[in-house]
Amino acid sequence: MEKISVKVCLGTTCFVMGGSNLQELNDLIPKKYGDKVEVVGSPCLGLCSINWEYSKAPYVKIDEDVITEATVEKVLEAIEKKLGN
Amino acid sequence: MFIDVACAQRKKYNQNAYGDFFTSTRFPNMNRVVAVLSDGLGSGIKANILACMTSTMLLKFLESNSDIENSCEIIMNSLPVCKVRGISYSTFSAIDCFENGKAKIVEEGNPDFIWIRNGEVLKPEYQIIESKDFKNRKMKVYDIKLEKQDRIIFCSDGATQVAMGTKAFPLGLERNGLIKIILNKLRQSPEISSKDLSEYLVHQVELIAPNKELKDDTSIVSIYCRDPRESLIFTGPPYHQDKDNYYAKSFIEFKGKKAISGGTTANIISRELNIPVTTDVATATGKLPGLSNMEGVDLVTEGILTLTKTLEYLENGKPEQNAAKILMDFMLNSDCIHFMVGAQMNKAHYDPNLPIEIEIRKNVIRQIAKVLEEKYLKKVKVQFI
Repeated sequence: MEKISVKVCLGTTCFVMGGSNLQELNDLIPKKYGDKVEVVGSPCLGLCSINWEYSKAPYVKIDEDVITEATVEKVLEAIEKKLGN
Repeated sequence: MFIDVACAQRKKYNQNAYGDFFTSTRFPNMNRVVAVLSDGLGSGIKANILACMTSTMLLKFLESNSDIENSCEIIMNSLPVCKVRGISYSTFSAIDCFENGKAKIVEEGNPDFIWIRNGEVLKPEYQIIESKDFKNRKMKVYDIKLEKQDRIIFCSDGATQVAMGTKAFPLGLERNGLIKIILNKLRQSPEISSKDLSEYLVHQVELIAPNKELKDDTSIVSIYCRDPRESLIFTGPPYHQDKDNYYAKSFIEFKGKKAISGGTTANIISRELNIPVTTDVATATGKLPGLSNMEGVDLVTEGILTLTKTLEYLENGKPEQNAAKILMDFMLNSDCIHFMVGAQMNKAHYDPNLPIEIEIRKNVIRQIAKVLEEKYLKKVKVQFI
């Protein structure tokens, strides 16, 4: 099975809108899922400026799916779904 | 040629104010640096006031190209008179130099400056000018031509007279003793920066003092003529998107050190040059996003939050260990800093829901440029793109 990729946006907007809390995922995900899920940061996913009027930062991408107003819980929930648990 | 100037000082033991005073200014447009070290009579606050007045006045006179002889008379006449000794007194060393190597040095009462070229001490000629109003006050004036890799050291007599009266140094360390230490250090680290050299020398002097207690204020000014260390910081997306490629290329082809400050900016350069960028999530610290990596680029940080914090550190000191401190060190380890500032606005930053104040990039850069020039004597160029 292919690894699930989790991309956390660390651009300015996402960071101040709550992205700083998502750093927790760095420790949490490897502990919980081992090799099955990979977490990486992105300097900016570029999503805030596309739809800035309705900005739902912070953004996280799980494979190609975008999670808006991401929280640790939301991200973990989405991973569970992907894994079919 | 770049002129690297730095001073390191120690107070006389048990004093709470420095009795020596150092000040300097760089004029980037004229490729000129002026620096003055003054040693006030006595020690503590009184000496501090005398030295501070002397060096600030002298710096202003030199800056305005006033006649040096006349300027010194004015200074000596304006200093307050010491109640104990009945004289007004402070000694000084001043240098006015240009990046083409032309330099003028004026000394009054301080130990003779030390000029080192290729590991040898040079003995320049000088002219003596006597004061009209004050007996026994003589100035030495040197007109010299500096070359690349030359070093000039000025010091207050606290350095040359340290440990005087001890068995090892009956007459103190003396100028020759100091020269030995300098030459030794330069053999070990020929490229040492002025800041590190003056700090090293003052520390050595302190070690020589019995019980490490200095009997006099000690200052060492070091000047080093060398090639400038250049760096380029790219921040913000260019206003004209169709020029992204052009700016990305000119960025990567820059010869010195390179940094990117901004997530979107990093993505643009990554896209245009086809170099992947990865973010190291682990380097984030509570308040600031972490660093990213891109091949061929020395440093990649987030943009406006990091820059705002860097400005705060540059102004007030006390940096914490985070991306802003790394960016600050990147700037301070360069002599000439170029900024390429993209003028495109990030609409998302104007969302009123953002919980903190996000400054306008141009303003932050302008303030950083100002503090780098005025406080850290750097040469700064800002280009809006």
